[in-house]
Amino acid sequence: MKIAFQLAWKNLIGAGLRTWLNVGVLAFSFLVIVFYNAMLDGWNHQAKFESIKWEYAHGQLINENYDPYDPFTVQDGHGIFPGKTADLCPILIRQGTLYPNNRMLTVALMGIDTSQRIVSIPVEKLKSKYGEFPVIMGRNMANSLKVKVGDQILLRWRDKNGTFDATEVTVSGIFKTDVPTVDNGKVWMSIQKLWEITDLNHHATYFVANQNFKNPNIPGWKYKSQEALLQDITNIIAMKKTSSSIIYILLLSIALLAIFDTQVLSVFRRQKEIGTYVALGMTRTQVVGIFTVEGSMYSVFAIIISGIIGIPLFAFLAKTGISFPTNSQDVGFAMAETIYPIFGIKLILGSILLVMVSATIVSFLPTRKITKMNPVDALKGKLQ
Amino acid sequence: MENIVTLKNVSKKFKVGDGDFWALKNINLELSKGEFAGLVGPSGSGKTTLLNIIGSLDVPTDGEAIVLGKNISGLSHKESADLRNHYLGFIFQVYNLLPVYTVFENVEFALLLQKIPETERKTRVMEALEWVGLAHLAHTKPSKLSGGEGQRVAIARAMVKRPEILLADEPTANLDAENAHHILKIMEKLNQELKTTFLFSTHDEKVMQYLKRTVRLRDGKIESDHFENNQKL
Repeated sequence: MKIAFQLAWKNLIGAGLRTWLNVGVLAFSFLVIVFYNAMLDGWNHQAKFESIKWEYAHGQLINENYDPYDPFTVQDGHGIFPGKTADLCPILIRQGTLYPNNRMLTVALMGIDTSQRIVSIPVEKLKSKYGEFPVIMGRNMANSLKVKVGDQILLRWRDKNGTFDATEVTVSGIFKTDVPTVDNGKVWMSIQKLWEITDLNHHATYFVANQNFKNPNIPGWKYKSQEALLQDITNIIAMKKTSSSIIYILLLSIALLAIFDTQVLSVFRRQKEIGTYVALGMTRTQVVGIFTVEGSMYSVFAIIISGIIGIPLFAFLAKTGISFPTNSQDVGFAMAETIYPIFGIKLILGSILLVMVSATIVSFLPTRKITKMNPVDALKGKLQ
Repeated sequence: MENIVTLKNVSKKFKVGDGDFWALKNINLELSKGEFAGLVGPSGSGKTTLLNIIGSLDVPTDGEAIVLGKNISGLSHKESADLRNHYLGFIFQVYNLLPVYTVFENVEFALLLQKIPETERKTRVMEALEWVGLAHLAHTKPSKLSGGEGQRVAIARAMVKRPEILLADEPTANLDAENAHHILKIMEKLNQELKTTFLFSTHDEKVMQYLKRTVRLRDGKIESDHFENNQKL
């Protein structure tokens, strides 16, 4: 084995530019794979963190008639929760229409308990000191309405009997969130105020639970745990990982093809050397070992080069993050303006293993020919 | 003297196009320990084929080739590699040195295969290089050597493991007369001092002058087997 490594080292260094081209392509592929996965991991982590913070907390107790993916269920998907609500924050959703700057926009009116501390919606801005009917909204929503703090907008809604009513509301706060489902198309107000204007006292569409909440299995309400609520994000990231793996496969294939090609050429051009090894007393399997180690050493070099380039670069990116333009935020689930890639041990070791194993396999495949070589013909350098 | 090579009715056939070519036809030959012998003959007479069979790089189509008590045809790849590794040395026409290794490392290679400890390896490599007068070039790459020096390194590489038989295929074909004589003198000296059996394949008159035994081949058959002074060892 020592001979194999020694020969591989000397042959690779001796091959000069050809070696460094192979190593360069493989290192580039390795860095792209690690970086892209780290970005997805970072995005996944941030999306889940932000969703828990702003929307899901430790789970949601949802009225059985309400389906978050079906806006038509908003009308009837609410009820009075018969159990204790100490560890829950009630949220009532109703439909309404805003008329900002002579425009009309259908919105979801989100009534939330102004004393809650379970999610990060800044409910203190909904207190009456900010106006007769204070509302808050996310930055994207405020931008689309073209309103700012202090602006008044006409709001129209239906009460529980379907009768239209309208009033002026005051924008008392605009909050910044990376979670589009609490921002886009949503106007937040005090639940007491929403109960009052819709005559749906003590009704909620769903409750957000804190860590102390124990699911009491109350009929008419279904509980979704934090994990279940986050499953969509997990699925989207998994799908993105799968689709991005096409890029890795392409990149890695190019790098591995270069190694394969070099190995085929080596076996073809170094037949005399192969014959000499056999004449000196090596078995053909040992010679295959020498060539395979030589090929797999490309991956070792590539990982070292990647380390030299990647460690400072990735450390910098992990600290400063990667910024995305505002218009890329509307992707359906939480996406921060700046994503901090996560370079986990599992990701790095997994990528190293992938590169090393695949490089070893493509190095081995062309060298199998050696086992069938006639050493006499090999010594003569005769094509076989 | 003890027989170390015995060939009984050895024949070797090669496929050439649609037909067969018999490179060796019923060769019977015995080599004793310590001989300085040569297979002599024109191109295509079967010298190299015979050398390859004795070196367990090839097997006969018919007949038996017994080398150091082992029937070459019956050896597995591992067994024949082991035979070459421990008991046989090869010298080639174009030296076949490993270009990425230094002179020292080229000679050391054979001992690395035998898993000999580093200290002993160093001593034996330097001793072998001194035999051929190249100790001062130990750390030179083969590309910097002259033809004669390259062949001397090849001799050191073959001799460092103290093989029972050294097989030299046209060892002087690429050398000028002066270098050829120098090389042959070294080999003759090693033959006398270490009692290694030397078997050459050659059609070089310079080599023939040194041979103690000349086996002439023609068209795959032994034409004559001549001992110096008609004396068998």
